[in-house]
Amino acid sequence: MAAPLVLVVLAAVTVRAALYRSSLAVFIAERVEVASPLNAWKRVVEGLALLDLGVSPYSGAIFHETPLIIYLFHFLIEYAELVFMITDVLTAVALYLAIQDFNKVVFKKQKLLIELDKYAPDVAELIQTPMEMHYIPLKVALFYLLNPYTVMSCVAKSTCAINNSVIAFFILATIKGSAFLSAVFLALATYQSLYPLTLFAPALLYLLQRQFIPVKLKSKSFWLYTLQYASLYLCSLVVIICLSFFLLNSWDFIPSVYGFILSVPDLTPNIGLFWYFFAEMFEHFSLFFVCVFQINVFFYTIPLAIKLKEHPVFFMFVQLAIISIFKSYPTLGDVALYMAFLPVWSHLYRFLRNIFILSCVLIFCSFLFPVLWHLWIYAGSANSNFYYAITLTFNIGQILLISDYFYAFLRREYYLTHGLHLTRQDGTEAMLVLK
Amino acid sequence: VCTSRFWFNYRHVANTLSVYRSVKRLGIPDSHIVLMLADDMACNPRNPKPATVFSHKNMELNVYGDDVEVDYRSYEVTVENFLRVLTGRIPPSTPRSKRLLSDDRSNILIYMTGHGGNGFLKFQDSEEITNVELADAFEQMWQKRRYNELLFIIDTCQGASMYERFYSPNIMALASSQVGEDSLSHQPDLGIGVHLMDRYTFYVLEFLEEIHPASQTNMNDLFQVCPKSLCVSTPGHRTDLFQRDPQKVLITDFFGSVRKVEITTETLSLDRDVAGFKSQFPEEELATEPLKYAEQLPVAQIIHQKPKQKDWHPPGGFILGLWALIIMVFFKTYGIKHMKHVF
Repeated sequence: MAAPLVLVVLAAVTVRAALYRSSLAVFIAERVEVASPLNAWKRVVEGLALLDLGVSPYSGAIFHETPLIIYLFHFLIEYAELVFMITDVLTAVALYLAIQDFNKVVFKKQKLLIELDKYAPDVAELIQTPMEMHYIPLKVALFYLLNPYTVMSCVAKSTCAINNSVIAFFILATIKGSAFLSAVFLALATYQSLYPLTLFAPALLYLLQRQFIPVKLKSKSFWLYTLQYASLYLCSLVVIICLSFFLLNSWDFIPSVYGFILSVPDLTPNIGLFWYFFAEMFEHFSLFFVCVFQINVFFYTIPLAIKLKEHPVFFMFVQLAIISIFKSYPTLGDVALYMAFLPVWSHLYRFLRNIFILSCVLIFCSFLFPVLWHLWIYAGSANSNFYYAITLTFNIGQILLISDYFYAFLRREYYLTHGLHLTRQDGTEAMLVLK
Repeated sequence: VCTSRFWFNYRHVANTLSVYRSVKRLGIPDSHIVLMLADDMACNPRNPKPATVFSHKNMELNVYGDDVEVDYRSYEVTVENFLRVLTGRIPPSTPRSKRLLSDDRSNILIYMTGHGGNGFLKFQDSEEITNVELADAFEQMWQKRRYNELLFIIDTCQGASMYERFYSPNIMALASSQVGEDSLSHQPDLGIGVHLMDRYTFYVLEFLEEIHPASQTNMNDLFQVCPKSLCVSTPGHRTDLFQRDPQKVLITDFFGSVRKVEITTETLSLDRDVAGFKSQFPEEELATEPLKYAEQLPVAQIIHQKPKQKDWHPPGGFILGLWALIIMVFFKTYGIKHMKHVF
């Protein structure tokens, strides 16, 4: 399996290198869909230039990266393109290894449940076989590397790629079962952009499953393990933040990075939902609505944790998707990360109801983004409503995608335990409805 | 520059246009002249002889003609535009004809006329330029090396007050009247109905009529033009900022464009001459004594001076801490037994 992966990696690197050398590189680097105020490359360069001139990079409202990124790029700024290509490759390899392990876990669990007779008798066609699962890791790596969103993100040199790679390593560490490493990587991911905090719950659930600790509120071992993991995570977070203090000897980065993410002062258009609302909102209400929007991101963790506590990796996927839809400055790089996971649930294909419409919506919106941007900013014949309409449609498409997969997943689980041919009490055929 | 408008200020426009004509006659092309006029005389409905501006009733000289090139006309003659032309702080879209494209070898003649007072000159009936502003503008020109020598002539009431505040080197100034005196106009033309010229400018122009490109008349002669008997006001001049002796300054240095051309039929070997020129320049640079108004750096040094680049480096403690953490994480996950491979 290594050889096809190497081929895929080579193809991806070639595509990116070709795009770097072409004239599209400059065009893509300026697109707002891939470069948000949080992770645009222009701002990294500006921050480092400010530092060379002896001024703190956080003194203006331009630079919103963490000090570790400053440290990374201080030495690597001439090799930036190489760094981003390597980051993408590392992400893909991490996802590949993670999904390989995950497949083994799924298969083992399936075998256990079959032997325990937990499945209904007529669900033979729903069971996953090693044959069809053999190529899934390769497909995941392929989906991530050759996704046009990822390629554009890489060519634009947006630091979203670094964020993605940290999250990918976190997923790898979680699936391999190492609580310490997963806590460290989660701390790094949270340190860079605040939202992976919500991935704490699925990681915890997965690790509890691996340790065979049942999730019961009264169980002492559950609380012990949770406390262990939480303290590992919080300690690493605190250590990383204190370390960043020593880079510039100031706490400036906290309001610049986290204050910026939470209070959303910069209303540059992007593919998210925040900018339009706050552009036309009165000052009076902005604090309230900022709180509402931010709670919206974190809120879904709890109901999903309750519903999906047996399936933490799917929970992680849904959580990643929710982060990338509802975060304050989403970019296409975030979208690419959760889309890389779609092959893992390709067996749900028969239960997906809206997949055709969804894919059409997503593809059309991706094409319409630059068109309406051009019409709005350059031609002047459209206005921000047009662009926001496409943003809204894109996000609706994404939300529908997630809810479709969610429905399909739950439906499959129900069929597995209750049999494929459901009958109501009076013997007629029944339909499953997601309430 | 003519700073007034309206029909009854005909003479100011005629003044300016006459000086313009003389200067053109002595060789300065339109590309090197910035002419600012209200330009409402020739086509004024009250002008009995339309499309003309006359400077002397007997000479019947039409100073307007077909080839007058006005760079700033009508409402563009403002204090702001005037100062922008002088200092060169012009928006990039300004055409070349509206710019003063001078460098540090240019001699500039500035002639202003209009209504003035003690320390100010009225622009277009709505704003004023003060002598302090003018002096500061000239200083900016000096700092930016926009002139070699500057001759400033002003024909207004109390004109001498306008050159009182100059403090930049290499400026010579002439005015038509002292503080407290009015400059008077020369004579009215009964056919046109207004005064056609001012006295001072009239006599200056008479003086200039005798100048041709090869004449050796110097500035001292210009200072004698229009004594009190003819002008009623006392013309004044100021030469203390000027570094050369006014006796040695030719009129054509400012009013004309005189090229020193030497025609030869021999062939010259350039290598020898280049070496000769090279040795000449350092001497010339040294010959000018350091100016006492500012410590002037040569322009090349000013342009290429950059703040000293102090490269930022992450502090040692940070690097140490970071890599210690990374190594600790590595060994925690993979076990101490790998340490022996490292060491």
